[in-house]
Amino acid sequence: MVKAKRKPIEEIKEAIAGYKNILNVGCGGCVSVCLAGGQREVNELNAVLKLHMSKDNVQKSIDGYTVERQCNVKFLDELDPMATKYDCIISMACGAGVQNMAERFPGIPVFPLVNTVSIGIDRNLGMYEEKCRACGHCVLGYTGGICPVTRCSKGLFNGPCGGTNNGNCEISNEVPCAWYDIYNRLKAQNRLDDILKVQPPMEWQNQTPRTIIQEPYENRYRA
Amino acid sequence: MFRKKNTAGVDSDAIREILDEKKTKMKLSLKACAHCTLCAESCFLFMGRDKDPKYMPSYKFINSIGVLYKNKGNVDKLDLGEIRDIVWERCVLCTRCYCPMGIDIPEMIALARRVCRSQGVYPRYDQE
Amino acid sequence: MELSNILSGTCVYDFVRGPLVWISFIIFILGTIFQVFRLLSLTRVEETVKLKSGPGSFLPKRSEKEKTDWGLRARLSIFGVNPFLIVVTTLFHVLLVIMPIFVLGHNILLDNAFGISLFAFPEKTADVLTQIVIICAMIFLYRRLFVDRVKAITDWKDYLFLLLAAAPFITGYFAFHQTFSEHYRLIITLHILSGELMLMAIPFTKFIHMFYLVIIRLTVKSEYSLGQGDRVW
Repeated sequence: MVKAKRKPIEEIKEAIAGYKNILNVGCGGCVSVCLAGGQREVNELNAVLKLHMSKDNVQKSIDGYTVERQCNVKFLDELDPMATKYDCIISMACGAGVQNMAERFPGIPVFPLVNTVSIGIDRNLGMYEEKCRACGHCVLGYTGGICPVTRCSKGLFNGPCGGTNNGNCEISNEVPCAWYDIYNRLKAQNRLDDILKVQPPMEWQNQTPRTIIQEPYENRYRA
Repeated sequence: MFRKKNTAGVDSDAIREILDEKKTKMKLSLKACAHCTLCAESCFLFMGRDKDPKYMPSYKFINSIGVLYKNKGNVDKLDLGEIRDIVWERCVLCTRCYCPMGIDIPEMIALARRVCRSQGVYPRYDQE
Repeated sequence: MELSNILSGTCVYDFVRGPLVWISFIIFILGTIFQVFRLLSLTRVEETVKLKSGPGSFLPKRSEKEKTDWGLRARLSIFGVNPFLIVVTTLFHVLLVIMPIFVLGHNILLDNAFGISLFAFPEKTADVLTQIVIICAMIFLYRRLFVDRVKAITDWKDYLFLLLAAAPFITGYFAFHQTFSEHYRLIITLHILSGELMLMAIPFTKFIHMFYLVIIRLTVKSEYSLGQGDRVW
């Protein structure tokens, strides 16, 4: 899922400096799963902000509320009765959730509280590893399930560069070479043919916001 | 409560097979739940739905996997429909529930979802 | 013959304070060992991988660590959510475990049997502590009967086990104060019997939550684990 990490408290304080009545909205989706922006983090951040405010002698009121998912506008409807009471909303959702919130309440300033970092996996309790950069053109099928866009420092599509160094990347001995791993995995599966075909470069120039339509809905939504 | 069950269209053996994989954990978890309700506030849905007890993690756990376990998988479509509502409509599986005993409630809910799916019972987001 | 007559009869009295003591302790200890093993067998140790940050690492540098504010931690913990219940439940459970060991009467029995004796509470203190346990049990009963969220998941077993847990204290209280002194032997029999029943029930019933709490929270790593457990389910 999407992985995020809370912003430093100073940055958050700066964002809300000019506002008196603040609503902190958590999200029960990905950011909750990665322990960045669920109900517990909302309560925690609010408590910390209140401590800071009493230390700095600032008067503000901060309330908390957590919705199911901020990336679906349906779940933001329940904020309607309360949203107008606040002069700013701070959101613990990912970048998508924050924008959806800002779109849903265009009259109210919305500030993000987390940095949306990656699409990743739960490596361990509280430790998450980036696995996917949402490039929009998945090549994992021929790279043995190892993503060259995420893992290779240069994002190469057709084998390693000259910097590959005994299994490591030229940027550091601590970073494994993605293509070395791809080669080994495909070799073990007897699939080396998969990387013999030259892959065309990614159409990076088309970097507009990507919307996807799931197949059964193509007719409904595509003009 | 003592409604006559109409188990047509439900494969109880298949359900039992899934439950058996986690039998001990399920059994001990149900046993260890002291019905203390300290988990309630950790569920953001409970907090956002007027503290309705039906949203308590323990309630959801007892009335989904607890029902499947007690009936040894002998449930009908009506039971499964109720469980479906509990484990999908009232839980988003954010995995953040607190339990003083450390019961793994999310896994239990996920298990109930798996049982439902195996019987073709699941939410249809495209029809709602 | 009435049930009370049977219970206070010499034969039952002797059985309850003789063999059944040993039987209940053996069942309690062996059953607990079995259940603890069973519980631990559901988990396994998972090695913790440490990541370094710095040149070439995928892990960004750590932002400055905020000082732990224990007051804040407490307020955000379950204690802050439900302080009253946490105080009640902690008192109840701690006393439930330590009272039987440190009551003077029990220590005298221990002395008679093995010639050892532990620290014992003064009788007055023990009496007050017993009353505290009974009051806590009554608060639990009140919650079960009248608080919506507790009612929603309460079944008959909850009442039974609450009664079973409180019974040794209630009968002990009566025995100490010589209430119903004409039935003293019956009260004592019930006191011993309820204690033994509870002991035997611990490993196999809802009472197992005492061990679950300690073992799972201490050893399995989770958001709410106590300490640095390295086991996973």
